[in-house]
Amino acid sequence: MTLKSVLTGAISSAVIAVALPASAETQLNVMTGGSQNMVEYVTDYLGPLFEEKYPGVKVRVTGTGPGDAGSQKILEKLEAQSAAGKEQWDIDVIVAAQKKTGEMKEKGLLADFRNNIETGKLVTRATAENALGVYVGGYVMPMFHSQTAIAYNPALVPNPPESYDELRAWVEKYPKQFGYNGIKNGMSGVAFVTGWMYTYAGDTKTLQSGPYDPAKKDTWAQAYADLKAFNENVTFTPGNAGTLDMLNRGEIVMGPVWVDMFYSWQGDGRIPPNLKLKLIAPGMPGQPYYYATPAKAANKDLAEKFIELATSPAVQAEGIVNRFNWYPGIDADHVKAALDEEVWTKLFTDVTPLELAQKGKPFPIGPYFDDIKEGYEKQVSN
Amino acid sequence: MSGQSMSVGPGRMGAILLVAPALLMIGFLFVYPFGYSVVSAFTDNGEGSWHIANFTKAIEFYSKDILFTIVIVSLSTVVIGVLAVAIAGYLTLGENPTAVAVLKWLYRWPLFIPFIVSAQLMRTFLAKNGMMNNILTSSGIIEPLAAQSYLDWRGIVITFVWKQTPFVALLVAGAMASIDRTTIDAGRIFGASRLRILIELVVPQIATTLMVGLILSYVVMLSVLSVPLMINAQSPTMLTVDMAWRINSYGDYGVANALGIMSYLFTGVVAWFYLRQSLKDKGA
Repeated sequence: MTLKSVLTGAISSAVIAVALPASAETQLNVMTGGSQNMVEYVTDYLGPLFEEKYPGVKVRVTGTGPGDAGSQKILEKLEAQSAAGKEQWDIDVIVAAQKKTGEMKEKGLLADFRNNIETGKLVTRATAENALGVYVGGYVMPMFHSQTAIAYNPALVPNPPESYDELRAWVEKYPKQFGYNGIKNGMSGVAFVTGWMYTYAGDTKTLQSGPYDPAKKDTWAQAYADLKAFNENVTFTPGNAGTLDMLNRGEIVMGPVWVDMFYSWQGDGRIPPNLKLKLIAPGMPGQPYYYATPAKAANKDLAEKFIELATSPAVQAEGIVNRFNWYPGIDADHVKAALDEEVWTKLFTDVTPLELAQKGKPFPIGPYFDDIKEGYEKQVSN
Repeated sequence: MSGQSMSVGPGRMGAILLVAPALLMIGFLFVYPFGYSVVSAFTDNGEGSWHIANFTKAIEFYSKDILFTIVIVSLSTVVIGVLAVAIAGYLTLGENPTAVAVLKWLYRWPLFIPFIVSAQLMRTFLAKNGMMNNILTSSGIIEPLAAQSYLDWRGIVITFVWKQTPFVALLVAGAMASIDRTTIDAGRIFGASRLRILIELVVPQIATTLMVGLILSYVVMLSVLSVPLMINAQSPTMLTVDMAWRINSYGDYGVANALGIMSYLFTGVVAWFYLRQSLKDKGA
């Protein structure tokens, strides 16, 4: 057999393999930002569930990576198809972070769909209407909410700091034992810095809901100077997972993490079972991930069905809360009814619902958020 | 090909056709995006009047990172050069056949490992309580309390050196194998040590190859994103990280492209040496 015939054979069989299922089934393309667990959520749980309910549909999921970077890739893909004047876009459902979803809505890349689905009525949180200052009501369904908190080792820190002030004092006493990932290596570090600015820059309310005043950032110099001094006694970690890794290896004893990642890692035995969480005062930010469907999705109806299933109380209970340790995206009361009491309380072991309500903050509105990050780059790290 | 056949129609046509695919590729995949990023760096994302605001902002925000990048990449290049010459030198001048065979077999391994995998390897190897320190403490070489993390600028240099040394060593070893052995033998007869033969007789003869290898490594290291992103959690960090950050976090292509142009300049300087050298070689 010549090389050429082998190649031709391989190529034609590959073409057949790709072409056949496409003709037999409809393919629903889901593109998700976020870490690997977000992809696994669709491949291992939600996708098979949907395929079972709608025979002949194949769910294909693509992960674009964590943080705003991952959601930015989705935005760029939609923008490119829009600019090319395509009538049908090849993404049906997107799962994206807050800030970038707001930008997509502003650029007219998303469809107004929430009133078309049954579960649209079940959302109550403010983030379903407002994504960091952009009105998104109707255009998004929250998939879940997540929260940042300080993870610590109670064997070594029996009385963890209760607030940013106490944390500053603690870090001075025990240098390099607290670690976070700066702002360029994942959102848990960004959340920690945001909480710092809420505490020391003042006027938290305006930062969270506007109006935007570009002169405001000039008043933050002292907060940044203090943060720079604080950073002297801190260990820097390489990312959200990096903080958990270092906690696991005992290289740090305290650091900000995402609550869902923390519980998932603990469930997998990747961090010691005795580690605990503390949501420090006056509060740290959390954010939702949104389901949305692009303005010109090829399978619009199926996409809506998919999101409807994904935000139904049963799926929110089993998938979001029980399997992946996220806080539900739809109103908690609808979800609680579908869950064992035990599973529900496990989610709130370290951070009680009351603490969550009092100290769980949103991220600031887009322009202030950029100012906070740029200020950090300019005044703390350069 | 003589000058005569060049002027004949079909031959010339053929030559152009042969070159066309490569030229088109470079045009579409390099020249066009390059021009686009230059325009973007000097304007507000391709719109409005020309200005240098993106560059002043890049310097204001990332001056430390710019310096850090140059220092890290230059330092790595120097260390790679020294190690590559040492490895290739032993392969050429070594007298223990077993040691030479083992080294020959071992040194190429990192060549086949991508940067991102190297970075992940180093992340578990160089951490404070990582594999390296665990081995050192359990064998009693260092005290457990003295263990420190190498996941900072040292980690980047170590990863770069580990990954790029084999490439340069491979080129240099090839060049050393093909030099005239009589010069080495002459040195030996006059009683020069092996180190002296290496430095004074062998290295000058392969200097061009060494320089080409180092220049290529320098350019590659300047463009790597995964290694600084995964290993160096602190600031300052390398320019590739800043570029990704500007785009992902702010959607700001202007400053990202300004940083990119600076990287072009850093590579441009060494590329100029490279071109001059290769022209000289062709001329000779």
